[in-house]
This record gives sequence, structure tokens and C-alpha cells, in this order.
Amino acid sequence: MLETLHNLAIGFSVALSPPVLLYAFVGCVIGTLVGVLPGVGPLAGISLLLPATFGMDATRAIVMLAGIYYGAMYGGSTTSILMRIPGEAASVMTCIDGYAMARKGRAGAALAIAAVGSYVAGSASVIGLMLLAPPLAAFALRFGPPEYFALLLFGLLVLAYMSSGSMLKSLAMAALGLLLGMVGIDQMSGYFRFAYGVVELGDGLGVVPVAVGLFGVAEILATAGQPVPPKVIEPRLRELLPSRTEWRQSVGPIGRGTVLGFLVGIIPGSAHIISSFVSYALERKLSKHPEQFGHGAVAGVAGPESANNSATSGAFVPMLALGVPSGPIPAVMLAAMMVHGVSPGPLLIRQQPELFWGFIASMYVGNLVLLILNLPLVGIFVNLLRVPYPYLYPAILAFSILGVYAVNGSVVDVWIMLGMGVLGYVLRKLDFETAPIVLGVVLAPMIELALRQSLAMSDGHYAIFFQRPIAATLLVVAAGMMLLSLRTFIRRGLDWRARMALAEKGES
Amino acid sequence: MTVARVVFLLVLVLMAATPFAAAQESFPSRPITIVAPFPPGGVADLTARPVAAAMEKLLKSPVGVVNKTGAAGAVGMQSVAVARPDGYTLLLALSSISIIPEADKIFGRPPAFTVDQFAPIALISADPTVLVVPADKPWKTAKDFIDDARSRPGQISFSSSGVYGTLHMAMELLSHAAGIKLRHVPHAGAGPALTAILGGHVDALASGPAVVLPHIKSGKLRALAGWGDKRVAALPDVPTFRELGYPDAEFYIWAGLFAPKATPEPVLAKLRATVREAVNDPEFKGAMDKLETPITFKQGEEFQRFFETDARRLAEGVRKVGRVDTK
Repeated sequence: MLETLHNLAIGFSVALSPPVLLYAFVGCVIGTLVGVLPGVGPLAGISLLLPATFGMDATRAIVMLAGIYYGAMYGGSTTSILMRIPGEAASVMTCIDGYAMARKGRAGAALAIAAVGSYVAGSASVIGLMLLAPPLAAFALRFGPPEYFALLLFGLLVLAYMSSGSMLKSLAMAALGLLLGMVGIDQMSGYFRFAYGVVELGDGLGVVPVAVGLFGVAEILATAGQPVPPKVIEPRLRELLPSRTEWRQSVGPIGRGTVLGFLVGIIPGSAHIISSFVSYALERKLSKHPEQFGHGAVAGVAGPESANNSATSGAFVPMLALGVPSGPIPAVMLAAMMVHGVSPGPLLIRQQPELFWGFIASMYVGNLVLLILNLPLVGIFVNLLRVPYPYLYPAILAFSILGVYAVNGSVVDVWIMLGMGVLGYVLRKLDFETAPIVLGVVLAPMIELALRQSLAMSDGHYAIFFQRPIAATLLVVAAGMMLLSLRTFIRRGLDWRARMALAEKGES
Repeated sequence: MTVARVVFLLVLVLMAATPFAAAQESFPSRPITIVAPFPPGGVADLTARPVAAAMEKLLKSPVGVVNKTGAAGAVGMQSVAVARPDGYTLLLALSSISIIPEADKIFGRPPAFTVDQFAPIALISADPTVLVVPADKPWKTAKDFIDDARSRPGQISFSSSGVYGTLHMAMELLSHAAGIKLRHVPHAGAGPALTAILGGHVDALASGPAVVLPHIKSGKLRALAGWGDKRVAALPDVPTFRELGYPDAEFYIWAGLFAPKATPEPVLAKLRATVREAVNDPEFKGAMDKLETPITFKQGEEFQRFFETDARRLAEGVRKVGRVDTK
């Protein structure tokens, strides 16, 4: 412990030296911008800036790239809350309740809670990264295809808690999402499925164009379709800060989101987006007022936003401790380190303590910088809502197209986004919720690959899922959850969902 | 035909020819783009960027790298195959350029592109893959491994970067050379394939040496043999399959620069001369050194021969694998 503190002191002396501090700041600012732009996420941001760091000192370069990574996670919530457009994929869940809060005039509060939640999650998970990295990383490696498959089944169960309306409708949407997720090259045989000769479809429908289309473009279309334009919300200064009740409601979700996000983040191959889905479902399950979700529940913003931020630090655990990329973004970071002649892995901490501890310390500093940067920005961002729709929405549409195009430089992605926008609009008119589609698109390829890899490992024997302790435990728990949810069907009692449906019928 | 019409036609012809002539005289007169068909941070990207930087210095004109990813590289490669052949759009391809059209053939689909749509400029690097196994497995030598695999066909598993991917093909070439059968567990990229073997979920992996070196040094993985025609410099004690009597198990993850086929010869000549100088640039050498990727420069005849031999070997490999039947 004493040694850790001593090392951390060295780290802070590196992180607080003016040049490193400057690069951390630059990274955070770029990251925030990248996060705010619809569609452009941390992956695109880091990739675009990676070459710019080639001439730099290794510590500075890595501190800056990491700043972009978690900066984007902060910034992603902004457009989700203000305009219902996910700034990056992991902010999809924030769109639902964050935007509902904004419509009620609580945009400032939502933004502030997202920023504070991100700060707490970011800082707490760095402590986790520092103290637990080596043992946790070794544990995370034990997640092979069978374990991953069992974990993803959990992800599917989450569906039950995601929508506020009819269960049948949300299952239908999830099925549609799973079907859309089938497009693309079959990873096991190399066969092109549903690509119709379009090579770009080989990689399937990307989460980014689908999410931006279903949420953002659909929202723009829906607003344009209203006979009377919605009233421009004019935020007042004293409404910018969350009320005491709102703070109290967000403490628990932030704490749980932090732990959850960190754990999901360290598992190789899993994505931030899953951590935010699971956090949302968890908060709804625990909430005393599940019916408020979807209509501006504070916990629906605080939980997922904290989760996707702490997943960021979690993702660094296998990368720093073992030199194993746990996802596409850590893979780029890993490459960045190799470009600078640093080889991450078990020997990194011993061979280059200044880089390792400087990096850790800079994450504390970076999170603080982001909080200081983001809280005053709340006031500015909220004022965007004053811009009249005829100016605001075309601009947003243009930015969405730019952002989605920039991720892969692919026009096909732009068409997917526009197509999804129209689909999202139609579905909204029919009262379907679109979040389960996004979940389906994310999960389908992962579940399929994990299942088939597991079967390839076992030569086709399903027993593999029960011979491995982690996978078996996860499956048993998942089965238990299924049975619990069936209980309500058997009892024929009305749960909150049914009560709400009745109430809504009464209203209309 | 009136005079006016003749003049009009002449003007048209001249107009069509002029930009071409101009391009030849002062190439390059605008920015050059190198397409890396894989995501940032991969071998193609990390080779393309220092090459671009070195070429930029020599040409005194911007050279940029664009990652056009998708469909295991097919998207980016196809985009260059059909790009305007003026030398302003180049491709940094990996060995998979010879594999993709063959795989297309097997599925009976129109190929996204063919290898003869490209004019080779230069080979930049050629890194032989090495066979690694988890250190806690019983095999101490490649012979142990092959003997064991022969005695229980289909029982020893390996991970790869994807079906028909480079890491898969390397293993298939070995399987055929040694007459063994292994169990294939494809992963979505080289990173996940490495994670799988470090977690002990598979028994073997063919990998580029640079990414597994730290894990060999830390004692988690053991290298048994290499696919090169000579030993990997960083692993002097690890024999090659050629030494062990399997000369057909030869495989390199190579990176080369290509232009669209119809690029005019003077432009190609200029590009070739530039790359020849670029690989001697100290900064370029430094960048490749950090990646622990030795520069293997080949041009003209020599590259053409290497490319053709390699393409033939891989095409044969793909045909031997055939269509993957999944249960």
C-alpha cells in the first residue's frame, strides 16, 4: 500500500508537469468535442489523432489519447440529453430518460448529473484499475467463448426491463434487431449473408448508423411532422442545477453503475454499450417507481452514464496488465503504445514505472479537468435549445451525416442511418420503442459468434457450457431470472407494466 | 463534316488528353492517398503511416492515409481496384489481397476484385508467422506438436484472425504440409485470437512475431517454429518449418504498396523510385524498429516473383480448405 502511494506520488509528479498536463487537457477537450458530435465516438477520434502523436514523447501521446477516450464518454451524453441523438453509441440509453428530462425543462440537471456521475465513476474506477489490475486481468482472461455466451444471454434478459410499454412490442423490436444483426459476413464460414453484392454490408449494420438513425433522425422527422412546432424550451439559470431530490435519487445509480461498468469493461470483447444497457435495466429493476423510466427518471441518466465511464477504465485493465486488447479502442491504444516503443504487458509496470504511474495519475487529473470543463459548459449547451427548430434541426441532420460518414468513410453507412431514421419514425408512429432494436443489433453478432466458437471448441458438444464453472454459474443464474419473470405470468397478477398500460389506455 | 465540327472534336480530344499529360509531367500535383484496408493500429495502418510520412518528405507533396475498412479488407482493396488510375490513390495491402478473390471463387460469387487489377509498387515488409502454444502445454518442440496432432486428429485447437484470414491460412499450410488435422476456432481479428490463447481457450496460434514476443519473454507462451525461409531475428533458437522438413509450410504476413493496374508507367516509375528512397529514411527505419517489424524491401521483377509465388501458394491453400462446412 505504502509502495503504491509512493508510486502514485511519482505518477502525479509526471502527470502534473506542465507539458503532460497540457496534453491531458488537449485530449479532454478533443474528446469532449468528439463525443458531442453525433456519431463520432472515441474510436474514430483516437484513430484520427493517432498519427498526430507519432512525433511525441510516449507518455504525452498516451495521456492525450486516453484523454480523448474518456472525454468522449463525457461528451456523448450532451446531444443525447438535449436532442435525443446519441453522441456516441454508448449513450443510447441516456437518450431515453435524459431527453425526457430535457423536455420537462430539466436539461441542465440531466447534464450536470451525467457529468458528476461520469466524474465519480471515472475516478473510482481508476482506483480500481490501480489496486486490482493484475488479479482482475487474470480473471478476465478466463472469459472464453462459452463464458462470454452465457454473459450475453444475460444481456438478452435485460430486454424485459428496457421498455415501458407492451412486453410483446418490445420483444418484437428485439427480434427485429437480432435479425438486422444477422447481416454481414458469417464469421465461421466466410459466407456473405444478406449483403446483396454490397461489399460494405459485409461488416453488417454498424451500431452507430443504426442508433443515430433510430433515435436522432427519427426524432427530427417526428418533430417536423407535427402540425405545430413544439415550444422552444427556455432554460432559466436557477433550473440548471439538480435539485436535492434529484441528487438523492442519483447517488445509488452512480455507485452501482460505477461497479457494474468496471466489471463489464474488463471482460475482453465486451462493449461499453452493454454496460449502459445493463445498468439501465438494473436501475429499473431496483427502482420503487419503474413506471417513471422513459419519462425522465433521474436514475435512467445517472446509472448508464456512470457505467459507460467506468467501463472505460475497466477496459484498460487487461491492456495495461497483460498487453491484451479488450476491445477495438484499447486495441488502438495498444498499437499507439507499440508505435512509441512501449510494450504493454506484465513487464510494463516494472520496466517503465513513470509511464505507467504517470498514466494512472493523469487519469485522476483528466477526470477532474473534464468535470471542471463540463459543468460550466452545461449552461452553454442548454442554450442550444433556444435555437428555433427550423435552424437547429437541419444543422443537426448535417452533423449526423458528417459524423456517421466520418467513422468509416462509407456512404453506405449514411444510407443505413437515413433508412433507419425512416424506420424509426414509422415505428414511433405505431408506438414501438426502438431501444430494443439497438440492443439486438449489438448482441446478435456477438452471441452468434460466441455460441459457434464454443461449439467449435467442443467439436459440437453443448456440454461445454456446463463443464466450465463460470459459464455454468452464469447460465444457472440466468435461468433463475427467467423463472422469476415467468412467475408473474403464472400468478396472472398485474405488475407495474400492466398497470401502466391500463393507465395509458384510460388517458387516451 | 464541317470544319467547325472537326475543330470541336479536336478540342474535345485535346481537353481529354491534357490533364493526363499534365499529370505525367508534374506528378504529384495534388495530395496522394494511401488506402489502408484495415482499422487504425493494425499492421497495414502502422506500415502505411510511416511510409506516407517518408514519401511526403521526398515528394514535397502531401501523402495521407485513409482507413477504408470492412469485409476483412475487401472494401478498401476494391475501392482502389476501381479508383482512377492516376497514381493519386494507392493501396497498402497485406497477404490477404491474394486470398480474398480465391475465397470469393469458392463461394461462386463475383469477386470483389482480382489481383491483376493492381500494379505492384514495392514490398515493404514480410514477417513470417510463428507457431506459439501456451507454456503449460506439454509440447516442447514442433515435432512434439505435430506428432501429437497426428495421433489425435481434430483434437488440438487453434485460434485465428478469421476464416480464410492470414493466421488461418498459415495454419492450414502447415496442416497440409505435415498431414495433420487441427480444430479451427475463428475469432474476429488478431487481437481476440491472441486473447483466446492467453486465456488458455485454444491450444495453438500462428501469429506475427511482434505481438507475441512480450508474451514469449514473460513466459506465458512458447514458440515452437516459424514459417519463414530463415529464423526470426528476435527468436534465434526457434527453428523454421523448412529446417524441420516441411518446405511447403512457408507463410509471411507481408505488406506491399500497390497502384491501380492502368496507372501510367512514368507515374509508377516515380512512385517506385520514391518508395525505394523512403525505406532508407532514418525516421521510417525507426518507426518499423519500434514495431519490431524488419523491413524487407523488394521491387520490380523480384517483388512480382515473390507476389506471384505467394499468391499461388495461398490460392492452393484456400482451395484445399475449400468451403467451410459448419455444423
